[in-house]
Amino acid sequence: MASVKLTKVKKVYDNNVVAVHDFDLDIQDKEFIVFVGPSGCGKSTTLRMIAGLEDISDGTVEIDGEVVNDLQPKDRNIAMVFQNYALYPHMTVFDNIAFSLRLQKMPEDQIYEKVTAAAEVLGITDYLLRKPRALSGGQRQRVAIGRAMVRNSKVFLMDEPLSNLDAKLRNQMRAEIILLRQKLNTTFIYVTHDQTEAMTLGDRIVIMKDGYIQQVGTPAEVFEMPKNLFVAEFIGAPKMNVMRTELKREGDGYVVTPFGVKLAVDGGKSQELAAKHAPTGEVLLGVRPEHITLAKEGQPGAIPCTVEVNEMMGSELHLHVVTEDGTRLIVRVPTIDLEPDQRHGLQRDSRLYITFRGKVMHFFNPDSQENLLN
Amino acid sequence: MSNKRHMGLRASAHISNTLIYIVLVVMSVVWLIPFICIVLQSFRVESTWQVGYVIPQKWGWDNYIALWNSDFKRWYLNTFITALATAVGQTVFVLCMSYTLSRFRFKMRQGLMRFMLVLGMFPNMLAMIVLYRVLKDLGLTQANAVPGLILVYIASSGMGYYVSKGFFDTIPKSLDEAARVDGATRAQVLWKIILPLAKPIVIYTILTAFMAPWGDFVLARYISFGTSAGMNVAVGMYSWLQQDMIGQRYTMFCAGGVVVAIPVTILFMCLQKYYVEGVTGGAVKG
Amino acid sequence: MKTYNDLEYLRLSKGQKFLYRLVSFFAAIPVALKNGCLGIGRFFKNLVTAIGRELADIVLTFKNGDWKTRLSYIIMGFGSMARGQVLRGLLFLLFEAVFIFYMIMGGGHWMSLLSSLGRIGPHDEYSAVLDAYTKVYGDNSFKILLYGVLTIFFIIALIYTWRLNIKQNKIAQDILRSGKKLRSGKEDLKSMVDDQFHKTLLALPLTGIILFTVLPIIFMVLVAFTNYDGSHDGYNNALFTWVGLKNFRTMLTWSGSGVNYSATFGEILTWTLIWAFFATFTNYFLGMFVAMMINKKGIYLKKLWRTVLVLTIAIPQFISLLYVSKMFAKNGIVNGLLLDLGWITQAIDFMGSQAHNALLPRVMVILINIWVGIPYLMLITTGILMNIPADLYESSRIDGANAWQQYTKITLPYMLFITGPYLLTSFTNNINNFNVIYLLTGGAPTNAAASGAAGSVGYTDLLITWLFKITMGAESQYYMASVIGILVFLVVAIISLVVYNVLPSIKNEEDFQ
Repeated sequence: MASVKLTKVKKVYDNNVVAVHDFDLDIQDKEFIVFVGPSGCGKSTTLRMIAGLEDISDGTVEIDGEVVNDLQPKDRNIAMVFQNYALYPHMTVFDNIAFSLRLQKMPEDQIYEKVTAAAEVLGITDYLLRKPRALSGGQRQRVAIGRAMVRNSKVFLMDEPLSNLDAKLRNQMRAEIILLRQKLNTTFIYVTHDQTEAMTLGDRIVIMKDGYIQQVGTPAEVFEMPKNLFVAEFIGAPKMNVMRTELKREGDGYVVTPFGVKLAVDGGKSQELAAKHAPTGEVLLGVRPEHITLAKEGQPGAIPCTVEVNEMMGSELHLHVVTEDGTRLIVRVPTIDLEPDQRHGLQRDSRLYITFRGKVMHFFNPDSQENLLN
Repeated sequence: MSNKRHMGLRASAHISNTLIYIVLVVMSVVWLIPFICIVLQSFRVESTWQVGYVIPQKWGWDNYIALWNSDFKRWYLNTFITALATAVGQTVFVLCMSYTLSRFRFKMRQGLMRFMLVLGMFPNMLAMIVLYRVLKDLGLTQANAVPGLILVYIASSGMGYYVSKGFFDTIPKSLDEAARVDGATRAQVLWKIILPLAKPIVIYTILTAFMAPWGDFVLARYISFGTSAGMNVAVGMYSWLQQDMIGQRYTMFCAGGVVVAIPVTILFMCLQKYYVEGVTGGAVKG
Repeated sequence: MKTYNDLEYLRLSKGQKFLYRLVSFFAAIPVALKNGCLGIGRFFKNLVTAIGRELADIVLTFKNGDWKTRLSYIIMGFGSMARGQVLRGLLFLLFEAVFIFYMIMGGGHWMSLLSSLGRIGPHDEYSAVLDAYTKVYGDNSFKILLYGVLTIFFIIALIYTWRLNIKQNKIAQDILRSGKKLRSGKEDLKSMVDDQFHKTLLALPLTGIILFTVLPIIFMVLVAFTNYDGSHDGYNNALFTWVGLKNFRTMLTWSGSGVNYSATFGEILTWTLIWAFFATFTNYFLGMFVAMMINKKGIYLKKLWRTVLVLTIAIPQFISLLYVSKMFAKNGIVNGLLLDLGWITQAIDFMGSQAHNALLPRVMVILINIWVGIPYLMLITTGILMNIPADLYESSRIDGANAWQQYTKITLPYMLFITGPYLLTSFTNNINNFNVIYLLTGGAPTNAAASGAAGSVGYTDLLITWLFKITMGAESQYYMASVIGILVFLVVAIISLVVYNVLPSIKNEEDFQ
């Protein structure tokens, strides 16, 4: 139940490698913040600095208005769940969960109450007397969460808690974390490399790369209005198609000419571009796979291409196609939209036509890779 | 065809296994013979000299009784006290050193480890000459050799941190971190989390520290320097095998060897599992 | 020199590849040397700038400091005490007091005599009371050297602590100026088991190492530059004094008369290296072989075989080694048995107590060392062998490898890789393997040509046993022992350095993981 404020936080390792550059972030009370990015982007380092496990080279970290830079982890009133669970192997589940309470010298009957209550919530009551090594991955994860839960701490930190679980369990635990959050009603900071987790869990997402914050925003914001090419490609799966093309003015609006085909930028986007005085000329055009549709030969804006790989996902079809100039694109087609006879036309090496939806195109500066609408 | 091939494989495996059994049996005999001989000769009564046969002509406890009436008692007690004290002190020192070097990242860490590596390249025999003189000034030599010896054994034992540091390195760091977040101080992390998990290496350290004084010869000889009351078993019994003594003491040496070896061997065999773990881990980590 | 890229390199023949690697290795030496020199240069440059920075900071702190800070320049810890950090201040003050006490009690005196190691030796003085000459003792060179060095340690420690004390003042001033509170003594104590816990843990072990290893080694290194021996013992007989590089010259050049140290050194060094090589590698390969035999599928009683071997580790070495050496003595059991069987007519001199045939005792110590060493190596290699991933063997079998190819292409590279550092330490340990040699042969048989006043030298003597014998010899030439010690250090250091830089298995730590 606390706000966390990071001001110009910086991490420089002994070998002068800078892991985190000037990290500024205000985390509200009871907010669920997710740090996401590829490995080595500094997200875990930032979390560990908040926890006090890593020295802060520069800048300040405040919890509830108090600067905690020089406090030991134990004095920061935080709870943390680790990637590999970090359960104490020589202690039973009960002792694991009770460890922090015993360090606080809480009376044993209160400890009993708290631990059993937490175990109840997490559904691990039957395992309280087992050692961690006798538990499955999912159960260990629950114990780790239970250990953090009983502490009534101000901030709840989670460092890639689901990455050691298999895909099915991960989905289940993700849902449970959402439930847990509603129950605990405290501030969460969650680190992951998985954009799906970030999108589904976070109130706000912090996308990081090479130690720099790329964008901070709600899931919808970062998806619809990525600040730069990196964010655009990182969020969304399969990832956004990007191609080099020409942006031109035509009448009131803008047009692009990918693969020699002229496509109009639809109403709203055109106006936004105009409002920003977007320069014409070479741009990077980004189109998400779900925003590419199949077209008919001769239809205006139809781009001819050849199917290279056809991935049937059940509810949808991922087509990897090659245009005439050799560019590879991914197209996502809902299976329900396809006529039975159309499917034959989507086999390997068959030719087809696609077109882009003008409303949901993204434009990036080819040099700075920033969104033209910034 | 394939059946024949199969038979061939089986037969060759049979032959090679038989060969291996022969080698193993021969080896076992070679490795055990000295110990069998020493036990047999410790019961020999007819002569205290070295003789050219193994089985005694006359059996008896004479050598053990002679042992009881000699300085051997004192040496044995000296060694036992030294070994006990060393086991305690050395374990504390080694654990302090190795835990720190494994877990803390302080400025001088790399330099300290490199320094100790270089220091270890000096033959430690050099230091003994000085240590002898210093201990003599302190009155810790000759008859008082035991406390002096204990002091020297323990004082520098921090240098032998490699094996247990290697073990600590295999305990995930996230356990320390989790405990610190849970509210433990660094000292509590060591007591409540790491030490219980490090039981094998603690036992290994105690065991090796306890066994070393039984076999130490050079330093103990320097420090006791001819005074029987300050000798350990190795120094004392070594003198029995010199030209002037061997005639009367050879079978006593055998008896003494048996008396020394039995408790150490029993202890070792009980804790063998931990010893193997430590020795293997140490070699892998270098 | 032509350099190849990866693809070009792959097209070279085996011989060309080897030649190319050899040439590149030697071509890299000048560069490495240059980098090394540059590194040393950089180190000194950094050192000078660091000292400069420190000095500037000391001056600045004085200039900007309040009176409490300034007074701390003389009375250490005063600032801390005046600002309420009594515990810290008292520790600083205590250190200063101990230092002054030590200097007064003789530290200063000893250090001032370091350059001469004492002026007045033991001499006879006329005593009017007794009406006779009595022996009067003067300075004590040994104490002067030892405690003089200790004083230098102490002074360095004082400078460091003094600097720390000044830094503390500066930090405290800055903290107070920014309106925050200083740590209290209670908090200081708490931090000793928390964020400063490593200092608490290291304090005792490091003190032990400094006093009982570093100080003696520095002392003995210095002894190599003196004439400290039995007759110049520094107190009773005569003082000893600095002689410069004389002892090294004696050791390394043909001296003409007396003991020919250089030839003896060469002989013993050669044997030491041969011994270390055989002792290390026979044990290694045979131990691995035994482990593989016991591990083999279809061999029963694995535990029994292992236990029999491990028994040798449990029994203190001085018993087993001394006993085995007596078994092989001229009137020992082995000769007795062979004579009884009629296989020999005269006792064989296995351990070389009289004969001047050096080969047999040398072979014997290596053989007995195998007996001692195989159990250790069996234990070590068993663990590692079982850790070799089974799929490596499975995939190589599918690729068509036979048992020997599996051994040379998988087992051996894996073992060498994992145990590379162990092999190196075991080699250097064998160079200094005092126990096995001294307890088995005591260096025998005597090498009459090499022995002399400094002590007798034998054909199985290692440098380390020679060193020991010199200190125990009639003249107790400590200075020569010290020179040998330094040379042993150099040999070990050079071998370690070369191996560390050449062995790929040590460099590429992650290859097999």
